[in-house]
Amino acid sequence: MSHQDNRPDAALLYRWDPRLRIVALLLLAFAFSSIKELHAIPAITALTLFFWVISGLPARRLWHRLRYPSLLIVLLAVTLPFAGGSTPLLNLGPLTMTQEGLESALLITARFYAILILALCFLGSTPVHQTIRAFQALGLPGIMADIALLMVRYLEVLAQDLQRMRRSMQVRGYQGRACSWKTIRTTALLTGNLLLRSYERADGVYKAMRVRGYGHKRPTRGGFSATMADKAAIAAVTVMAIGLTWFG
Amino acid sequence: MPPAVQFFNLDFSYPDKTDVLRDISLSISPGERVGLIGPNGAGKTTLFLLACGLLKPTSGEIRLLGQPVVKGGFNPDIALVFQRSDDQLFCPTVGEDVAFGPENQGLTSREVDLRVQEALTAVGGQHLSARPVHHLSEGEKRLVAIAGALALRPRIVIFDEPSAGLDIRGRRRLIPLLQQSAPTVLIASHDLELILETCTRVLLMDMGQIIADGLPRDIMSDEVLMTAHGQEKPHSLVPHQVAHRHTAA
Repeated sequence: MSHQDNRPDAALLYRWDPRLRIVALLLLAFAFSSIKELHAIPAITALTLFFWVISGLPARRLWHRLRYPSLLIVLLAVTLPFAGGSTPLLNLGPLTMTQEGLESALLITARFYAILILALCFLGSTPVHQTIRAFQALGLPGIMADIALLMVRYLEVLAQDLQRMRRSMQVRGYQGRACSWKTIRTTALLTGNLLLRSYERADGVYKAMRVRGYGHKRPTRGGFSATMADKAAIAAVTVMAIGLTWFG
Repeated sequence: MPPAVQFFNLDFSYPDKTDVLRDISLSISPGERVGLIGPNGAGKTTLFLLACGLLKPTSGEIRLLGQPVVKGGFNPDIALVFQRSDDQLFCPTVGEDVAFGPENQGLTSREVDLRVQEALTAVGGQHLSARPVHHLSEGEKRLVAIAGALALRPRIVIFDEPSAGLDIRGRRRLIPLLQQSAPTVLIASHDLELILETCTRVLLMDMGQIIADGLPRDIMSDEVLMTAHGQEKPHSLVPHQVAHRHTAA
């Protein structure tokens, strides 16, 4: 996942204060996960579509992100109607599709996609480092925020290291056939080497941070400020979430 | 005015390597631009880490501007530009990385912004402020790393192999920065021409000791001395009596 996948400034969702965006996401995710009635599905679908539209996230990119999680939910959606229940709908040989099973499958699938799409829209519209800072502003301990930021920063560097190492292996004839002892051993050596390099790099980074004063004073810069529109939006989302929880 | 940097009988050993530095005594005056040359493993980087308080000497003392250096302390009067820019650029964007040091100095937002602007302007990198760090070229990373150090408004700047990995253009952009970044500058480099061009004094180090200390031209012209300690005479000091390029017939 590219952590620079931020939406253009024109997208309405992107203009929302990142902290309030996170709070809204959590509220809606909680509300969506609490619905138990099928009649709430159109409401959560409509809300999800609304937020997707104002996020400006292209459909193609959204689908790309949904592909792998979909494998899991499709498996569940296909098997759940046959898993239990007392009202038979359809007999397929030894298997019986029940109304209760089908309803459960529909509910779980709808909730799953709604929450996942919301998360992709809400968080995918912000650079990762800004999201982490927003979490920090909401109370995430500073040290955890620093760890997350450093992880995000150095994942790219690690990926480049790995690519260089792989290329050097390829030019020396390594082909990496699956399920061979040599492949397993080489993969283990590669992993160990990356870990060692990461450790050395971490030591270097830590020294660089210390020499510029890390750990001496906690920086007091904020960087977020919520407008009246932001606050009105979170109030509206709160009402929606309460409504869904109550009536769903 | 006290000396900028002083080392008194400094010894240092790592747990797995002894005598990395042996009895180093040295004084650097404010305003000097000192080049450290020597083979790999001579102790140059270790000396820098000690000066910045990142390591503790086995014995001896270090003073910066008259004050003793305490291990683990933070002294914004001294800044270090690391050899590997990726080690130094750990924030997501250029602006945030350059702001890192001033924020730790407890400055207000306005002061931090001013320092960031100043530092990026000094290196010609104002246009990079919003750029993600991992999208920078090697030359740009080096400039941003220098900006990050300059943002502290240090009185001493240490550069560890500043021209390593840079192309010719990057190297040429670097030279005025090395000359003007701070009142006192220490530069460790294998790029002897760079040292000749930027430094007023040279220290030749080898096996943890200072072998020679003097004017760059005097030390680097001594071919016997240079060769004995894993160096060679810089090309610009070699008299051009014989054609030095072989062209295909």
